[in-house]
Amino acid sequence: MPLPMYYFLAVTAIYILLSWSIYLPYRVMHLHFMSVANMTISGYLGAYAALSWGWPFMLVLVVGIVVGAFVGWITSFAIGDAPTFAVVIVGFTYIYISKTVVENTDALGGTLGLFNIPSIHSDPSTSKLLLLIIVYLFVILMGFLIHRFENSRLGRAASAIFVDHQLAKSFGINVKRTGMFLQTWSSAMGGASGVLYAYLMRNLFPDFFTFHLIGIAMTMLFVGGYATMWGGLLAAPLLWGGPLLFPPEIASWRIVIYGTILVVMLVLKPEGLITRPLVYRIESYFRRRRDRRIPS
Amino acid sequence: MNKKIFVVLLVLLTAVALTGWAGGAQEEAATGAAEEDTGEVVVEEWEIPFLNVLSGPIASIGEYLQWGADRAAQEINEAGGIAGKPVTVKAIDTGMSPEKGSVEMAKIADSALVSMGPVPEPVIMAAMPIAVENGLYSMTATTSYEYAVEFFPWSISWFAPTKEKLPPVVTEWAKMQDLDRVVQFVESYGPWPGMAEAHEIGLEAAGVEVLKQVDVPTDAVTFGPLVVKALEQNPDGIVFACNAEKIAKIIIELKSRGWEDLNNLLVFNSGDAPELYTTGGKQINGTMIYNYTNDALDTPRWNAYKKAYMEDHDGTRPPALSTHYYDAVYMIKEAIEETGVTGDPDKLKEERIKIRDYCNNVKNFEGIQFTWSMSDGVPTDKPLFLFEIQDGDKELVKEVRPE
Repeated sequence: MPLPMYYFLAVTAIYILLSWSIYLPYRVMHLHFMSVANMTISGYLGAYAALSWGWPFMLVLVVGIVVGAFVGWITSFAIGDAPTFAVVIVGFTYIYISKTVVENTDALGGTLGLFNIPSIHSDPSTSKLLLLIIVYLFVILMGFLIHRFENSRLGRAASAIFVDHQLAKSFGINVKRTGMFLQTWSSAMGGASGVLYAYLMRNLFPDFFTFHLIGIAMTMLFVGGYATMWGGLLAAPLLWGGPLLFPPEIASWRIVIYGTILVVMLVLKPEGLITRPLVYRIESYFRRRRDRRIPS
Repeated sequence: MNKKIFVVLLVLLTAVALTGWAGGAQEEAATGAAEEDTGEVVVEEWEIPFLNVLSGPIASIGEYLQWGADRAAQEINEAGGIAGKPVTVKAIDTGMSPEKGSVEMAKIADSALVSMGPVPEPVIMAAMPIAVENGLYSMTATTSYEYAVEFFPWSISWFAPTKEKLPPVVTEWAKMQDLDRVVQFVESYGPWPGMAEAHEIGLEAAGVEVLKQVDVPTDAVTFGPLVVKALEQNPDGIVFACNAEKIAKIIIELKSRGWEDLNNLLVFNSGDAPELYTTGGKQINGTMIYNYTNDALDTPRWNAYKKAYMEDHDGTRPPALSTHYYDAVYMIKEAIEETGVTGDPDKLKEERIKIRDYCNNVKNFEGIQFTWSMSDGVPTDKPLFLFEIQDGDKELVKEVRPE
């Protein structure tokens, strides 16, 4: 596989995971930016474990996910049913705290960064292929779980919370537990993204995991469509890959192009490219085709 | 009869075999001659990809780095090119994005003869492992030694190790100003805290008491509380290791709170950017600054460079880093010409190594500012200059050469 294609695909997968990690809590109206902090925590922890303790990749990944989930779960006791704004503030605070801790910890490379994270295989080509396979298996697994969630009672409960918090409570939905569950899941995905990102880049720098990632994930979510999981899946390769194809003269304008797309989308199609009715229409179209094929 | 025929056939066969063998040998010899390095350049044009930061918050730095590289290419082409062929510097924008930087590096990793950049540290850290893995020599001519060394020998450091290069100039300044108590403003970005540590070594060597440093938050917009924090320690000197615009604002704040002797303020080399002068204006007159570029140099080459830069930038003087990639392009030219690099894609691997080894150990390289040598990718004798700022100009106070 050509090297640029490898990096394009690998980064796309990480962006998909990141946009899903923002999407999931947004199902209950939480803009949960903690997943970026979870990327920092699990990414650095994983890199340190691999460098200092010689942990193998799979162990690092599992521990990264568990640590991410744990941090998200503990915090969700306080913000599981908090207003959107409070969740945003907590997310920002976590990003600041995790970045500051990294910058002031010599063992994590401080402001200089952490270098030479090992490959997952001694042969560079095999290592790349394996990493790509693992990343996409993880994306498929998460996609499957999110899809199951969307069609479950819990998913419908989340939709009710999104529409009206109080109304959902009156239906007997446990708003806090639903929020806690989604925040924990989101944090676990953030942790996984951090570990995968660390192994992809092979070095870590404190500024890797900052607000630019929030900007990217938010754009993907709102351009792709915040009401279904398919929005992030569509927008990640388009928004991330598109600018790579720009000629050099236009490439420098990509931030302006990004911003313009976001503004235009918010004005003309605020619900994003892929909406829930669109998904229902596509699903029912396929259902009808399938039903026609089955003789009664 | 049969015997005669047999002998004739044997002789003929032997002759054919011998002729064939000899022919084969001739052919082999001819092929060998063709494969021999004729030293002839096979490219129509040399292309040097430059992974630069042309968008985002530090795009202004990328602009003048690109200007310097393009200027060198223009001069070289006007003088006949590299080994007779023209050269172009291909600008590739990575912004501040590690992800984009890695894809852009991946695009050139298996085809470029040599490359320049990346520029911002986050992009260097993401993209350089790709260059190393693919044996591509990329000249990281703006970052500190501590980053470049991680990718040796596939990168080059334009600076000596921070803790060796900076202390002498700080010691000189502290002695010159007869200082006793010095505080530092330090911003947590990449190499800057390490540079602040190097300043401390220099200050201690001058017998100065180093006070508790003041941390400058990256997102700071008001500087009053930070200045109060510094002044309450009663310093008689201040060193700045933070963003250029913030330095200017802190100095203005210091003056508004009664600080008078601006010679007792020292700005580090990363602070020598246009924002320092545009924001500070006359308010920073008298402030001392150190860097690697002597603006007051009077040579035809530097004067022409300076004039062209100022014409293209509304009279702004060339910033300290603007010469780095100018020199890098010339160093690549020298490497190609001295080692007989041909640009033949079939010899890509060996020719990359030729350029790498030449540049990493170049001797008496004639840069636009001074002549210097490299040893295993590290400069051995680059000087540092101490200046006083006056109305946007820098007046040379002292040149400090490593021992």
